[in-house]
Amino acid sequence: MKKYILMPLLAVFALTAAAQDFDTDPTLELENAEKEVKFTVGARMMADAAFYHSDFTPLQSGASITDARIRTSMTYKDWYFYADFGFGGGKFSQKNIFLQYSHLDNNDNTHAVKVGYYNDPAGSMARNTSLGSYHFISRPGSSYALGEGRELGISYKYNSDRFMAYQGVFTENHYNKIDAGFNGITVAGRYLFRPISDDFQTLHVGVSARFAHLGGGEVYNNVLKKSLHLGQSLETLVDEDEQFVSADLDWANNVVNVGAEALYQNNKFFARGEFFYKHVTKKRDSYSLYIDAQNNIDGWGDIEWWENANKLKNNNFIGGYVEAGVQLLGNGYKYNKQEGLLGGLDGKSLELVARYNYTGLNNLTDGEYYNAGRGHFYANGYMEDWPGTGATSVGGGDIHSVTVGLNYAFNRYVLCMVDYTWHKLDKPFLPNDKNFHVAQARVQFTF
Amino acid sequence: MFKHLVKVGLMSAVVLATFTSCEEEQQFTNEKLDAKRVEVQVLNSELAKVRDYVPLYAVIAHRGSTFWAPEETEASWRWAREMGADYLESDVQCTKDGIVLANHDENLKRTTNIENVFSENVPASRVDFYMSLGFSRADAEAQYGRDMAAFRPFYTLSYYYAELLMLDAGSWFNESSLEQARPTFKATENGRFENGHIVYSNGLYISAIQDQIAYAQGKRLIRDANGRRILTYKVKDEYKGMTLEQIYNAIKAKGQYNAKYMDFIEYDFANAYEADPEDTGNRPGIYVEFKESWLNPGNMEQRVYDVLAEQGWNIITNDPGDQPFYKNGKVNVGNTRGRVILQTFSFDALRRANDVFKGRIPMCYLLWISEPAYATDIAYDTPTGYAAFIKWAQDNGAHIIGPAISGAPNNYPEMNAPWQAYMIRRAGMINHPYSFDSWAQMCKYMGYYNYGWETEFDDLLRLEIPATPYCTSSYPNSVPVYMDGFFTNRTEMSLRYMIENGFRGNPALPNPFHAGQKYDNSQANVTVPDAVATLERLGY
Repeated sequence: MKKYILMPLLAVFALTAAAQDFDTDPTLELENAEKEVKFTVGARMMADAAFYHSDFTPLQSGASITDARIRTSMTYKDWYFYADFGFGGGKFSQKNIFLQYSHLDNNDNTHAVKVGYYNDPAGSMARNTSLGSYHFISRPGSSYALGEGRELGISYKYNSDRFMAYQGVFTENHYNKIDAGFNGITVAGRYLFRPISDDFQTLHVGVSARFAHLGGGEVYNNVLKKSLHLGQSLETLVDEDEQFVSADLDWANNVVNVGAEALYQNNKFFARGEFFYKHVTKKRDSYSLYIDAQNNIDGWGDIEWWENANKLKNNNFIGGYVEAGVQLLGNGYKYNKQEGLLGGLDGKSLELVARYNYTGLNNLTDGEYYNAGRGHFYANGYMEDWPGTGATSVGGGDIHSVTVGLNYAFNRYVLCMVDYTWHKLDKPFLPNDKNFHVAQARVQFTF
Repeated sequence: MFKHLVKVGLMSAVVLATFTSCEEEQQFTNEKLDAKRVEVQVLNSELAKVRDYVPLYAVIAHRGSTFWAPEETEASWRWAREMGADYLESDVQCTKDGIVLANHDENLKRTTNIENVFSENVPASRVDFYMSLGFSRADAEAQYGRDMAAFRPFYTLSYYYAELLMLDAGSWFNESSLEQARPTFKATENGRFENGHIVYSNGLYISAIQDQIAYAQGKRLIRDANGRRILTYKVKDEYKGMTLEQIYNAIKAKGQYNAKYMDFIEYDFANAYEADPEDTGNRPGIYVEFKESWLNPGNMEQRVYDVLAEQGWNIITNDPGDQPFYKNGKVNVGNTRGRVILQTFSFDALRRANDVFKGRIPMCYLLWISEPAYATDIAYDTPTGYAAFIKWAQDNGAHIIGPAISGAPNNYPEMNAPWQAYMIRRAGMINHPYSFDSWAQMCKYMGYYNYGWETEFDDLLRLEIPATPYCTSSYPNSVPVYMDGFFTNRTEMSLRYMIENGFRGNPALPNPFHAGQKYDNSQANVTVPDAVATLERLGY
């Protein structure tokens, strides 16, 4: 236990000894007044070090460049184009790329239409918040397991002092790289109400909803098989192993996400949280699979028998988190009304943060038996021979995570973060993995 | 600027130093370490009591012998008995008339000449067979139609036992094992239907479990002057006077397990055997494997229970009391509470066997792995997965784990690595790996290659075997032992290994299940007959 206490204390010591600004160039801006065009270029780099201790299955402690990114934007009148590209982990990756048209009406309300590849409005408040502005080293696990990320689509956003309505239509895969089927379609929206909204503090409450019809999959025994992967790491980017909390849902068809959120912010304090509910429906061409299974010396009887031994069950998962932070030193917390999000640290700051997260990917059916040597659930409470098991449980793992962290920004460009997280896991496949301790630190440079 | 850089560097150094100063952590998944720290369920006292019915370092004659004689026949089991094996091993399936017989494969094609005797349809002689039992032609033909609906070519469940006695279960061996081939293994006449009744072949037969027990008791088949076994049959008294249709409906009404079966025929096993003149007094036990559950009726385990009870070999209904495993240099396992061991790969069979036998007869759960995992395979061969299977086995009344071993000629997947043997020992279960074909395998799994060398699992697996007068060395044998007995295709070689290395004929073996106690098998046979001479002595 000593080591979990020692590391943050030493880091605090180092941080407090270094409380002065760097001389750093600001974000590069090029402006052509004649043509009313402004072009910006920025960059971001995050380097993390993490130490893991687990009851049983080891994780790989170490250090990593967890994010390296070049950001560009161009503004022309009411038009805004943004693109950023990542090359963290030694791989190039497409991040955001979108075009937005904004219009301010006579009542100072904003209307914006956005086209491109960017975060799903209902993907979660956490996922819509840039990691560079986040107050923890990783977003909460539930936002990865049950939220959504970037999608290709078009959206419309209305924003006033009190309300924000942000909705759009998207596809599930921005490169259309699928083996079979089509790209799928998603309708999503995020709706906020701000009962308190002034220069000193903000309270927003909101709901989000998302419906996705999965379109792509693989060909399995001459049938289109669509699957959905849900998962999260142990809220760390150095070892992003998802084996502890993840589920692959075969024959997924439609996905419904419903979320609720709240955020309060004043100059020295913030608190926010989200609740996630995900419902996954299943669909399968049972008849074709049944007929295919008959091409064997051991037949299945009738299709009713086959379906009974290969049951499909829709799944429900929930998760959520609460986060809070106290700024001990700095320019205060800022709220971004246009995005409905909390901003990052701005200038020299010191803050203490804490988070509780719960992710529930166990969707168990009463009476079913699980054997870790088989990696299967069995419907009747014991293992059975061929054919089939008839079981419907999903054992993706339930995890409770508690994080405390300390963040120090030397200035608006350089940030150091230290987090400690304790995870409590319940996963049938990994019965010996109960407790995980994650101590990690980050140096982040943004311009 | 410089000061800040220094301080950032200082902080990084502190973080790095903190990480590197942490106590040593496991850097990767190490199954050897995990085998020691993963939770393993330990056999409870009731099961442990039954476990001790089984002799240590048992030589289990796998299918009698697959090397020297046609497997699971009179020849292989008589040979194994005379060689001094502790158990005669078999794989049991069920015939259409409910006889429990020994056959390893899913069907009968490899080990009999069934494809030469029968077509891929219901035997053409079936109607005549029914009529020979006194049924009318119309009734017989109607039943033939019902038989066709449930027919699966060359599977035991499709044939009456009397029909299967028309087959030659020995000639295939001569064709596949040229060096061990013997003219006497081949029938000189195939069976046939003649003059209104079935004429059996005159060679080696597919064995009923009653046959196997008889061989273990020092008997052999009674044969007529033409070399055909004598086994009469008749309609069971309860079905006398009924038509086949009525019998079919009556059996069907008994429940789903009986629907495909027509077990209305009674065989006179009581008068099918005679004392074997070549018997030298060994009384091995039998080691019976329930095969694929979907090939057999759902009450297969109850059928075996009943046959054992009828033969006086069910220790639940006929407790032989405390008896020694060896007497006067002879095997006596067949007269002890360990006379029958059950085994299976099947989840269903294990669970149902537990329902029937309730853990009161030693039972072995067999382990296999393949990619992708077959219906009853272990899929995750990790300490966690292995522990889950050990728990499953114990919860379903098993006392023994039977893991596959690697090595030529079978090249099975390795399920008995040292860490796996260690986990079986931690569970307090007996380890009966399968199947041994070579001296090298015996050396490997009985620790010869680790003689004197320290291993990671010595705390539970290393044994100090005192030297006996029969050992090749006069020094104690200090070895990690990765088994407690095994299935062998080379009984003669296995016995010799056991004797020469002190595992047999030893009055003071350490008992791995009872620390500090000695295990005495000094009364065991300490000379091994010549394999070929024994076959010849038995008339083959």
